[in-house]
Amino acid sequence: MNENPVIATVSGLTVEVDGRALVDRVSLRIRPGTVTALVGASGSGKTTTGLALLGEYPAGARVTGEVDVRGARIGYVPQHPAAVLNPARRTGSLLRDMARRQVRDLPRSRRRDAARQRVTEALADAQLTGSEEVLDRYPHQLSGGQQQRVVLAQALLLGARVIVADEPTTGQDALTKRRVVGQLAAVAARGIAVLLLSHDLDVVRELADEVLVMRGGRVVEQGPVHRVLDAPTHPWTKELLAEPRTLPYADPELTGAELLTVGGLTARHRTGGSRVTVLSVDRLTLRSGECLAVVGRSGSGKTTLARCLAGLHRDHTGTVLLEGKALPRSLRDRSREQLAAVQYVFQDARAAFDEHRPVLDQVARTAVRLHGTGHREATAEARQVLTDLGLDEILARRLPGRLSGGELQRAALARALLARPRVLVCDEITSGLDPVTRRSLLDLLAVLMRRPNGPSVVLITHDLDTAAPATRVAVLDGGQVVEEGPRERILTAPQHPFTAALLGASRGRGAAARP
Amino acid sequence: MNGLRSWIARRLLLGVLQTAAVVLLVFALTEALPGDAAVAFAGDQPDPQRIAAVREAMGLDRPAHERLADWVMGLLHGDFGTSLTSGRPVAGYLADGFGPTLLLASVTVVLLVPAGVGLGVLAARHEGRFTDRLISSTTLGVYAVPEFALGVLLVSVFALRLGWLPPTAVGYGTGLLAHPAVLVLPVLVLLSRPVCSLARLVRAGMIEALAAPYTAHATRYGISGARIRYGHALPNALAPATQQLARTIDWLLCGVIVVEALYVIPGLGTVLMNAVADRDIPVVQGLAVVFGIATVVLNLGADLVTHRLAPRSGVAA
Repeated sequence: MNENPVIATVSGLTVEVDGRALVDRVSLRIRPGTVTALVGASGSGKTTTGLALLGEYPAGARVTGEVDVRGARIGYVPQHPAAVLNPARRTGSLLRDMARRQVRDLPRSRRRDAARQRVTEALADAQLTGSEEVLDRYPHQLSGGQQQRVVLAQALLLGARVIVADEPTTGQDALTKRRVVGQLAAVAARGIAVLLLSHDLDVVRELADEVLVMRGGRVVEQGPVHRVLDAPTHPWTKELLAEPRTLPYADPELTGAELLTVGGLTARHRTGGSRVTVLSVDRLTLRSGECLAVVGRSGSGKTTLARCLAGLHRDHTGTVLLEGKALPRSLRDRSREQLAAVQYVFQDARAAFDEHRPVLDQVARTAVRLHGTGHREATAEARQVLTDLGLDEILARRLPGRLSGGELQRAALARALLARPRVLVCDEITSGLDPVTRRSLLDLLAVLMRRPNGPSVVLITHDLDTAAPATRVAVLDGGQVVEEGPRERILTAPQHPFTAALLGASRGRGAAARP
Repeated sequence: MNGLRSWIARRLLLGVLQTAAVVLLVFALTEALPGDAAVAFAGDQPDPQRIAAVREAMGLDRPAHERLADWVMGLLHGDFGTSLTSGRPVAGYLADGFGPTLLLASVTVVLLVPAGVGLGVLAARHEGRFTDRLISSTTLGVYAVPEFALGVLLVSVFALRLGWLPPTAVGYGTGLLAHPAVLVLPVLVLLSRPVCSLARLVRAGMIEALAAPYTAHATRYGISGARIRYGHALPNALAPATQQLARTIDWLLCGVIVVEALYVIPGLGTVLMNAVADRDIPVVQGLAVVFGIATVVLNLGADLVTHRLAPRSGVAA
């Protein structure tokens, strides 16, 4: 590898916005056919560094240092590929435009075929099957995986020597992660350099040759992947690398009677004019003091189940019993007590807060609405719960936009706790968070559960590491509970092939493999 | 695309109902007006006996619902009825008026789309700079001037003072196309406000589209500026503009009354003015049907185009 010529270098790059350094004196070299990983929590400057390779900087940025790509073309696969696909044009439009530019020198009669040929090749290289059909669809009609492959095909068609892949596996289930890893490995095998921006260390370990660990815009540690990940020297790297939580969330001593029971539930969604059954659950129970993890791939019906419990999805048959009493299907028909008893924490904490009002006021609102507390007492109570969850008053008085994702998710938890719920439904509350933030949030959840009168938790997740410390695990696939049982049994001796496949996909990685 | 076809069918059915409602409303309102065709016919000598005689001759002494029912039955057979005042078939009135109005509307639309879209794109390209401010403030200013005021202004400057263009279409008959000079001022007045609203909508949509990540992505991959603007960004900006355009064409076909009156063009607007003055209910109703159908069809078309441009937005009937 040492003989390998460098195709892009970044030296002493500093990017400042309003006097705050997003990236601070970062240097790196990129060689063909290798994978260089920038690792760090969100906000550590990974994306800014990656975009600098493309010659793009945030608005109003002051840039010093040097980025030299020697005229090489650079491709970019962003975290959300849908954002770079034009919603009003068919998927193939940009690919065709790019190909047309490349065949301008050919005689007119041959251009069309040559352009089509190039597009087809790029799609095949990106492992996209059924390409003709995909090109004629609109981006929103494609799956997330297809969107990602189309964006990768664009980079390949460009003839990119370096591809910047921003968090390609974040928020993906284990099976999808495997596919993305395979794809990026194939790209590197073609002699293209990959700059991988990620906080998913399992993926980094598998793919990367070189690792740079970033914190607060600086590179705190760098070196070959095995050296950095197996023998980290910097405390921050060690913290990033710490094992995910394996201690159970719930105290087994505290498990009590059946609290929430779902019976004969069939939920439907309307698509176009027809109603499609997306979930059918014969029976699922949550005992008090227990944490039930609901695991499955995206689209398996996990969130629909959570929404049925919380009264957010009305179009279902069957019953949801709370301590033997049926809960009305719709939120509107539930009494204050029933509303308070089942609280929901959403995946996207930012979207769950009104951006124009201070966090504290919004949290206090729960007590006012659900317990009829006066404004002053509610605020005091909210302040206390927020402090308890690690958000001091100065932070709590800010607008949501000035809090980080992890802090906002804590505020969302505080808001739910203020209702003094019996059941807390947590819908992918850690997806998109970096490992350090994720672990602290899950530790917090365990602390809350273990308190007297603490809530029982339904934990919706696609991540087996997050599910592993739960009391019981239910595996959803295609809207059916394919397997359900104590976590030890599900994780060590899965009965259903789908569970086995999920476990297999994450084998050798994380806590799920070693319960 | 079965869903789309049933949606179109539902929309058309709804459109028929809407048109029927408009006809009923127009009938009720003309009934509620003081006086009727007989009073208007009697003119300056309102002799009650004479009016009663005329009323009987016109069939106006029959109850309103009977007259309406007769007319509806006729309509179902494609017969718009006959004018109360002249006895000529209403269809003839419509056919005569339709030509000039359609001509005005088409010329306006043909000029409106490139002008509105072009100005909008140009302003968006120079967002915040001089060109943008010039276009934005001018379009806002012109939009604020009512048609009749602008019409009178243009006539007094270009026709009366400078004598470049004829002030009205009087004396040119219905063959307006043979005398393009006659069309210049009316089309200018018709264009003035729609161009402004269209340009402003396109500008807003384009600014958003040009700042979107997919535009940055296309730039990143070496697509030329013009191709990005017109091929990638503009389709996103056009969805709201299409709706506005449908409303404009609608307005051009139905509501050019002011302009036609001002420039004395014998189009549908003039026919409508005269019919209302004469309380010639069958003609008014015939026009209501034509306007209603035009509105329904144009809006349906605009919704279809919008669906094509913003495929994520659902179609609602």
